Amino acid sequence: MSVRLDHGIVERAAAGCALRLPRGPHRGRLGEVRASSVGSSLELHDFRQYQPGDDLRQIDWNAVARTGELYLRVRQDEVSPRVEVLVDGSASLAISPEKAARVREVAAWVCALARRGGLDPVVIATGSTVRKAGGPSIRAMLEALEFDGREPFDAALRRAPPLRPCGLRVVVSDFLFESPPEPFAERLARGASGLSLVQVLDAEDLDPSGGAGARLTDSESGEVLERILTPHVVDQYLERLKAHVSLWQGAARRVHASWSQASAEFQLDALARKELHELVEVA
Amino acid sequence: MTLGAPLGLLALAAIPALIAAYFLRRRQPPRTVSALFLWRTPDQRAEAGPRLNRFSRESSLALEILAVLFATLFLTDVRCGQAASRQHVVIVVDGSLSMNARVEGTTAAERVKTEIARIARDENAGVLTLIETGVKPTLLAGPQQERDRALSALEKWSPSQPAHDLSPALTLARELSGSSEHRIYFLTDGPIAEAVAVPPQLEGRSVGKQASNLAFLSAQRRDEDGRAQVTVRVGNFSDVPVTAEVRFTAADDAPQKQDVKLQPSATAVLRVGFKTQQPITVTLPDDALVEDGHLTLLPSPLADVTVSLLEGVDPAAQQALRRFLSVAPGVKLAPEALLTFGPPKSTAHVQLGATAPLKSFVGPFFAQKGNPLLDDVQLGGVVWTAGVNPPGRVLMSAGAVVLMSEEDDGTLHVNLDVSRSNVQRTVAWPVLLSNVVRQSRLATPGFPRKHLMLGEETPLVTTAGSTWELIAPDGQTRPVMGSGVLSLPPLPASGQWKLEKDGEPFDALVVLPLDPRESDLRTRGAWEVVPAQPQAFASFATARPLPWWPLLVVLMLVLLDFWLTAAPRRKEASS
Repeated sequence: MSVRLDHGIVERAAAGCALRLPRGPHRGRLGEVRASSVGSSLELHDFRQYQPGDDLRQIDWNAVARTGELYLRVRQDEVSPRVEVLVDGSASLAISPEKAARVREVAAWVCALARRGGLDPVVIATGSTVRKAGGPSIRAMLEALEFDGREPFDAALRRAPPLRPCGLRVVVSDFLFESPPEPFAERLARGASGLSLVQVLDAEDLDPSGGAGARLTDSESGEVLERILTPHVVDQYLERLKAHVSLWQGAARRVHASWSQASAEFQLDALARKELHELVEVA
Repeated sequence: MTLGAPLGLLALAAIPALIAAYFLRRRQPPRTVSALFLWRTPDQRAEAGPRLNRFSRESSLALEILAVLFATLFLTDVRCGQAASRQHVVIVVDGSLSMNARVEGTTAAERVKTEIARIARDENAGVLTLIETGVKPTLLAGPQQERDRALSALEKWSPSQPAHDLSPALTLARELSGSSEHRIYFLTDGPIAEAVAVPPQLEGRSVGKQASNLAFLSAQRRDEDGRAQVTVRVGNFSDVPVTAEVRFTAADDAPQKQDVKLQPSATAVLRVGFKTQQPITVTLPDDALVEDGHLTLLPSPLADVTVSLLEGVDPAAQQALRRFLSVAPGVKLAPEALLTFGPPKSTAHVQLGATAPLKSFVGPFFAQKGNPLLDDVQLGGVVWTAGVNPPGRVLMSAGAVVLMSEEDDGTLHVNLDVSRSNVQRTVAWPVLLSNVVRQSRLATPGFPRKHLMLGEETPLVTTAGSTWELIAPDGQTRPVMGSGVLSLPPLPASGQWKLEKDGEPFDALVVLPLDPRESDLRTRGAWEVVPAQPQAFASFATARPLPWWPLLVVLMLVLLDFWLTAAPRRKEASS
């Protein structure tokens, strides 16, 4: 199912905001955030003795005057952290046009926030094929994204190119697959300086309508289950959904990741102000 | 192949319903969900994929339809081969006492047994329903009992009923024959009365034979002061004069015998006295019907009634009461008595006296007819002075004044001022008091009467809080329901019946096998009736045992269905 991505909505939601970056130092391209590595920023990191080949501009002449030794200022590097947006392209993300649109919008919104902060976002989307896009091609890739994956997100992500370390990762998915949350969360957090998990759920996922019999078909595996959707059955579903989300929240806490849940029935700007505010800081 | 219950075919209606349900289940609205695993209950998590589901469901439908078909076979009572030819024959036999008459070496009852065996054989009867006529019809065998068992039950049959109406038994036979179109067989020992409406399905035959008979028609025993007075009436049911010797035997006194000469159809009364308190046996010479010539009479002394007079009774009334009690038989004065006399508003059973203002009556007196307390009470020439009306149901009145009344608890009010009346000097006084004593005696636990005729209802008095049981002459025990003054249905067998209270012997009575209509064997003989419409003699048996194999197949199919539908789950669970 292909729905045109409305960039006007995305830009309005991202106006005046920037992506909240992790507090710890990052490694990455030259930018505005202090990195853990040494570099050329104005912030002093350390002193060390001059060695041949060092940049003479970094020699601290005051120290030379005091000690008679050639000392070099070692400055902290300034990096522009990488932002990797991982989008779940499995079929469950497209059980309704609203859910698919919201996934695209959230991914585009994160990219817009990153750009506003001077970061360079990269989008990796799974599905029947895994695609990676950066820079201006992100827009076209998100617009053309087909939610046609038939395998769980964690399995599909194995086919993706290796994630780069030290980057900020934002994962957009419904997280409705049976794989154990903790190993997958650890895998996503491994090497990343920050991880945000954004769960996008349809209104029918959050509050399914009952009262009649239905032939329930799994959007990905095609499995069928016939059930009479009595209030009791719906209540049981909601209990299991709650327990499932709790598992993911616990897994996110363990890997120091943030967890956000967005309902597809709300517009992106509303979500940006409320459910997704943890991703945002006012510029 | 036959169908014992064609209505069972209605079960086939379940097949369209089953198929409809199957397709309705398949046609449930589809709904795509993000995570099916959240919709599964733990036992459903292992459900197979659509390909395997489809396979198992179609097989399941086929098995379920097969199960319905075999269940239909069971409900329709399908029978094949030999089982299909099982016939059901309903036979009614006359249960009257005269069936025991032995003529030419065999009794009518024995000939009936032979005849039933022949009918069962000729009609290829697989099952029989045997009904005995009587005051209340009885099932000797059945409904639809296996032939051998029914014939075996018939061997124990001993008819002992008084003359009775045949209609209830014939109605019951029509109901048990399963259809109003099948013939019913009736075996008796003589022509049935023309007043009896013979149903058109009835095929009847008499196996009885004409015979002469000498029989007791009635018997009484009266015990007073250790002496027993026996009175019997003997009848000659033959066409020639007969002289017979009647023997009277008591265990502790010398036997006595009296010769009696009777003209045809004549009767004679014999009386003897014994000094005994043991049972007395009275016998006639053996003839065609032995039962009505042998009697055993139990001692039946008049039960003592204890009486007491409470304080406060008017002296004149007290004197009149004492005068009666001193001469009344079987009455004793005692402090704690069964019957108490007292003034009005006392706790006495009989409250005698009148409260002012008083008024005297010389008649007319209006008495409740049929009340045993007023039996033979003649009030001609009586001056009755009464006072304020007593409570209770009015038994006797004069004008607007109630002279006698009875309350629900049995308290009797006699509104009589003896000092200003002359009732106590008339014959009505001892008669009235005798009735009161008699009614009190009848409330004594046990059998009020020790001898009953066949077919008579059985009076019995029991008390609450105890277990009362009747022991039949053949030793069978029957519980007695209820307490107080009871009237049991006629006891079904002649002979001595015992009454036990809490497992201990309490009383006994004898049902005398006496019924003049049964003793007269001259009316017995050949008789036959053919059914008004030629119909099948027997219906097909519908009774158990039903063929069990369709149920077994249903069970197997259900198990197979379960296995088929459960297999995919097991496979998924193991993977």
